[in-house]
Amino acid sequence: MVLDVTAKDSNGNELFKAEKKYFEIGVDTDRDMRYGAWQIKEIIDLTLPPMQTQKEQFLLNFDSDTEEVTIDVKLWYYINGKSGHVVHSVSETLEYEID
Amino acid sequence: MKRKSWLIALCFASLTVMFAPQSCFAEKLANTIDELVKMYDDTKCWECHTDQHDEWKTSFHSNPINSSLGGIRNFIMIGLAKEWNTPLTKAQILKCLDCHAPVVNFASEKLAVQIAEMIVTANDKKGTPEAEAVTKELAKLNVGCTACHNIKATATAQGLRGKAVHGKIYSASGYGNDEHDTVEAVELKRSIFCMQCHGIYSAPDGEKIQCNTLSGSYQDAYNNLGGTETCQDCHMKDNKHNFPGGHDKEIVAEGLGLNVQITQYRHLPGQVETAKNQKAWVPSAVVTAFVENKAGHRIPDG
Ligand code: HEC
Ligand code: HEC
Ligand code: HEC
Ligand code: HEC
Repeated sequence: MVLDVTAKDSNGNELFKAEKKYFEIGVDTDRDMRYGAWQIKEIIDLTLPPMQTQKEQFLLNFDSDTEEVTIDVKLWYYINGKSGHVVHSVSETLEYEID
Repeated sequence: MKRKSWLIALCFASLTVMFAPQSCFAEKLANTIDELVKMYDDTKCWECHTDQHDEWKTSFHSNPINSSLGGIRNFIMIGLAKEWNTPLTKAQILKCLDCHAPVVNFASEKLAVQIAEMIVTANDKKGTPEAEAVTKELAKLNVGCTACHNIKATATAQGLRGKAVHGKIYSASGYGNDEHDTVEAVELKRSIFCMQCHGIYSAPDGEKIQCNTLSGSYQDAYNNLGGTETCQDCHMKDNKHNFPGGHDKEIVAEGLGLNVQITQYRHLPGQVETAKNQKAWVPSAVVTAFVENKAGHRIPDG
C-alpha cells in the first residue's frame, strides 16, 4: 500500500513527489529478505497497524514564481507487486500571490 | 473386539443416512485424486446449498492451489530439493497443503507426492496440454464445504470435541435437519477457526511456515487494542460464502480511511535554497494525511 503525494503546476509539470510505503519485510534466520513461505521466519513490520490512525506529514516548498499548484494525495492498494488501484484520493488547487 | 463389532453395526445402521456410510472407510487413504475428492464429496453439498456454492465459487477458497502455484512449486523444487536437500514426502508437502488443500491429509503417501509433482508440472510446463490437464485435476482440490464443515471444524478444540467424524457436518448451531447429520461446533463462528490457516503455521515436526501472518496481527494488535469483531463478522456478513478480501474493492475501501488536510502558506525569503529568487516569499504547503486502518489486522498482509 502506498500513500502518494504529488504537486503539479498549471501546465502539468511535476513540482513535488513523495510517497510512504506500507509493507512487510519477511526475513530468514540470517535476516536476509525472503519471499518463500518456508524461508520466512520473522517479519519486520512496516504495515498500517489496526485500530490506529497514522499521521503522515509532508512539507512542500515550491519555486518563488509558482502561482498555482494542484496537490493530489492518493492511497493506493496493491493486491500484488504489479496491480494496484486508488482506494481514496483528495485533490486541491492552491493559488499563491507572488512578489 | 467388542468395539469393532459395535462399529460395524453402526455402519450398517447408518446406511440409510446419506453421508454416514463413508464414515466406515474414513481411515482408508485415497490413491487417486478422484478417490480423494469422492471421500469428501462437496458436489453433494452444492446440489442443495446453491447460494453457498455460487458465492464460494467466486472466492479464493475455491482454487487455492492454482492461485499459489509458483510459490508451492518453489517450495518443492528450491526449498526441499536444494535448500533442505530433503526428499519430497507427504509430510513435507502438507507444510503447504494442510492449509491450501486440507483433504490431502487423506491422500496416500504416493498420491500426495504425485500431487506435488503435478504442481511442478502445472507451473513449469505452463501452456502445454500436459500442464492444462494437471491444472484441471489440481482445481478439484480446494478449501471447500467439507474442508471447513468437517476436516478443520473441530481441530482447534479437539480435546473437547474429538476429531471430526467423517460424514458428519459441523456447524456453529448444529441444528439438525432431515437431510444430514449436523453436529454443533460453535468454534466455526469464532476467529480461532479461521486463524488455523490465516497465520503462522507450526508443522507437526516444528517447522514454522510463514505464508501469511494475519492472525498474529489480529490477536496481538487488534484484540490487544480493544477490537472485538470476529473474522466472520467482517468477512462473512449474513453468513455469505464469498469471503471478500484484498481482491474486493468494496471491503478494501471500507477498511481504509483517509483524511487529508492541506494548508497553504509562504515560507520566509532566503530559507529555501532551491528557490530562484532568494529575496521573494516562497509558495509552500503542508500536507497532513491521516491514514486509518479499520480492518481487524495489519494492512497489507504478506
Ligand atoms: C439433500 C440436501 C442437502 C445436502 C446434500 C446437504 N445439505 Fe446441508 N442442509 C440442508 C438443509 C435442508 C439444511 C437446513 C436448512 C438450511 O440451513 O439451509 C441444511 C443445513 C446445513 C448447514 C447449517 C446447519 C445449521 O447450523 O443451521 C450446514 C453447515 C450445511 N447444511 C452444510 C452442508 C454440507 C457441508 C454439505 C455437503 C457435505 C451439505 N450440507 C449437504 C440440505 C442439504
Ligand atoms: C497456515 C496455513 C498455510 C500454510 C501452512 C501455507 N499457506 Fe500459503 N496461503 C495461506 C492463505 C490463507 C493464503 C491466502 C491469504 C493471504 O494471502 O493472506 C495463502 C496464500 C499463498 C500464496 C499466494 C500469495 C499471494 O500473495 O498471492 C502463495 C504463493 C502461498 N500461499 C504459498 C505457500 C507455500 C509455498 C506454502 C508451503 C511452504 C504455504 N503457502 C503454506 C495459508 C497457508
Ligand atoms: C472457509 C470456511 C468455509 C467454507 C469453505 C464453507 N463454509 Fe459454510 N460456513 C462457514 C462458517 C464459518 C459458517 C458460519 C458458522 C456456522 O453457521 O457454522 C458457515 C455457515 C454455513 C451454513 C449456514 C448458513 C446460514 O445462513 O445459517 C451453510 C448452509 C453452509 N455454511 C454451507 C456451506 C457449503 C455448502 C459450502 C461449500 C460450497 C461451505 N459452507 C463452505 C465456513 C465455511
Ligand atoms: C473489523 C473488520 C475485520 C476483521 C475483524 C478481520 N478482517 Fe480481514 N480484512 C478486513 C478488511 C477491511 C480487509 C481489506 C483490507 C486488507 O487487505 O487488509 C481485510 C482483508 C483480509 C484478507 C486479505 C488480505 C490480503 O492481503 O489479501 C484476509 C486473508 C483476511 N482479511 C482475513 C482475516 C482473518 C483470518 C481475520 C480474523 C483473524 C480477519 N480477516 C479479521 C476487515 C477485517
